[in-house]
Amino acid sequence: MATTVQNTPGRTDWAEDGEPELASVLPQPVTTKNKDGTETVVSYYLNEAGKKVKRTQRIRRTVVKKRENPRVAERRQWAKMGPEANKPAGPGDTTTLGENIIFRPQVGFKAGGVQEKAPEEEKKNDALKKMQIKCRICSGDHFTTKCPFKDSMAAPEEGTGEGAGGEGGGDGIDAAGGLGSTTGAYVPIHLRNGRKGEGERMGGKFERDDLATLRVTNVSELAEEQDLRDMFERHGRVTRVFLAKDRETGRAKGFAFVSYADRADAARACERMDGYGFGHLILRVEFAKKADGK
Amino acid sequence: MRPILLSGHERALTQVKFSKEGDLIFSVSKDHIVCAWYSANGERFGAYKGHQGALWTVDVDPTTTLLATGGADNTMRLWEVRTGKLLKTWDYATSVKRVEFSEDGRQLLAVTEKRTGQLSTVYIYDISPDPSEPAPSEHALRIVVDEQPRVTVAGFSYLNHFIIMGHEDGSVSQWDAKSGEHIKDNYSHEDGMQVSDLQWSADRTYFLTASKDKTAKLHDTATLEVLKTYTADTPLNSAAICPDPQQYVILGGGQAAMDVTTTSQRQGKFEARFYHKVFEEEIGRVRGHFGPLNSVAVDPTGKCYCSGGEDGYVRVHHFDPPYFDFQFEVEREARAESRI
Repeated sequence: MATTVQNTPGRTDWAEDGEPELASVLPQPVTTKNKDGTETVVSYYLNEAGKKVKRTQRIRRTVVKKRENPRVAERRQWAKMGPEANKPAGPGDTTTLGENIIFRPQVGFKAGGVQEKAPEEEKKNDALKKMQIKCRICSGDHFTTKCPFKDSMAAPEEGTGEGAGGEGGGDGIDAAGGLGSTTGAYVPIHLRNGRKGEGERMGGKFERDDLATLRVTNVSELAEEQDLRDMFERHGRVTRVFLAKDRETGRAKGFAFVSYADRADAARACERMDGYGFGHLILRVEFAKKADGK
Repeated sequence: MRPILLSGHERALTQVKFSKEGDLIFSVSKDHIVCAWYSANGERFGAYKGHQGALWTVDVDPTTTLLATGGADNTMRLWEVRTGKLLKTWDYATSVKRVEFSEDGRQLLAVTEKRTGQLSTVYIYDISPDPSEPAPSEHALRIVVDEQPRVTVAGFSYLNHFIIMGHEDGSVSQWDAKSGEHIKDNYSHEDGMQVSDLQWSADRTYFLTASKDKTAKLHDTATLEVLKTYTADTPLNSAAICPDPQQYVILGGGQAAMDVTTTSQRQGKFEARFYHKVFEEEIGRVRGHFGPLNSVAVDPTGKCYCSGGEDGYVRVHHFDPPYFDFQFEVEREARAESRI
């Protein structure tokens, strides 16, 4: 479009339409095409003070195609009627714009769900962090149930209770006597006589909850468990650190397992510690997987 | 999405309706006025004045030339959309609870209320789409509903084969649109919970009813079989089907108007609820109204929806990309498979 204007003799710029005698003394506007698809238009005009002004404009032309139903287009041109007759086009005082609403469809929507539940859970987590927790087995700062020595060291009270109950409860039916409970509620057989919740497990003490356990590889030979614990404790409560050591030399084998009390902490630690420089090596951190493929 | 608030009414909205191309919204309320709005920017095109009582219902013909309204002044009126000219007034013995044009716009039905000495009656008129031709005073067909409970809503099925009615006791019934014979019933909603709204799918082979029993049900037009049920936690006043390809339905309701002052806005549940049409699962809500939603309508082109509330506002929402992109995992998989 700009080129057609340029080619028309005697007509230089729409801005100068009113004063053709002045336009003749002004240089023609020059349009150059830029590499980035824009156009630069250099034109001259006289301002109110009669001074010649050079104007450089950079223009980018974009074509916006919009399809519209011809019926809709026609209705848009209708003259307003009723109380709106003779009012200017565009929304009037009967129309206001509301505040922005975020509407995001999601699977498993719950009324008032996401926004309200999250802080509640956070509060609970915070309370948990502030709480003084002491393990009854090893006096560490974790729950007794989460104790890494749970399987190897029995809890002191539990040991005595087992002794007393074991004698009384010869058969499984004598549930109340066996547990020494006062509530009289039904106790499943596998929980009687002070036994722990789970039945016998195949893995023994080697089987653990791997959900919050990280495998750390490429650990320096000279590393100590305490070093790892210090490093990983920054990201949450560490319940266990196991550093594999060579039996003969006593040096680290180069890999370790770190368990967290909270899986969220473990995930964060995994993300942050992966690629962390420790000693002269770069750590590789990932979630520990079950060894077998069952 | 930023809702556009239309505040042309002074009293509770009773029905909102889109034109076929989705560019105009017609709203009626208890303040005797019919308003027409451009859906794109919320500009009021005009108002149709003449009714002497609260308005219950509005419908526009498929060419957006004629507008029918009915209300508590016992009249149904026909207007020319463009000029606001009153073309015809039909007088009845009781108030008009529902008006609807047929799919082709050549027939118009009116449901009159059952009141002392008067039975629920459905009148059907043959209408010419040309506004210069006079509309007939005589009805083409009259169905007096005697044996069934009071009619609350009604509409024309595909090809004007049937007339489907929703009743006060929560049942739906099917009638022959030519002879006026009663064909069948289905007691789909809980007994005594009235059908508050009936809206059609694009091809009118199925329809959605909303009921005070807190559910909306998708019915097959030919068999009246319930295809899907959407359960909400509040009495429903209205339910709309989103056009393809989006597989959603929108339900609107809330605490009954008389109980509103005793409950907070939160408890009132004044939200538009979106359900997946096929999986019957709630996928989201849109808040905003200060009172129950009396009517929801979806743009037939699928770009926006609007809701009219007891609070006197019409809120128009133009959908954002998440609305168009959302899919269930199985839908995504099915699409991926079909691509292979």
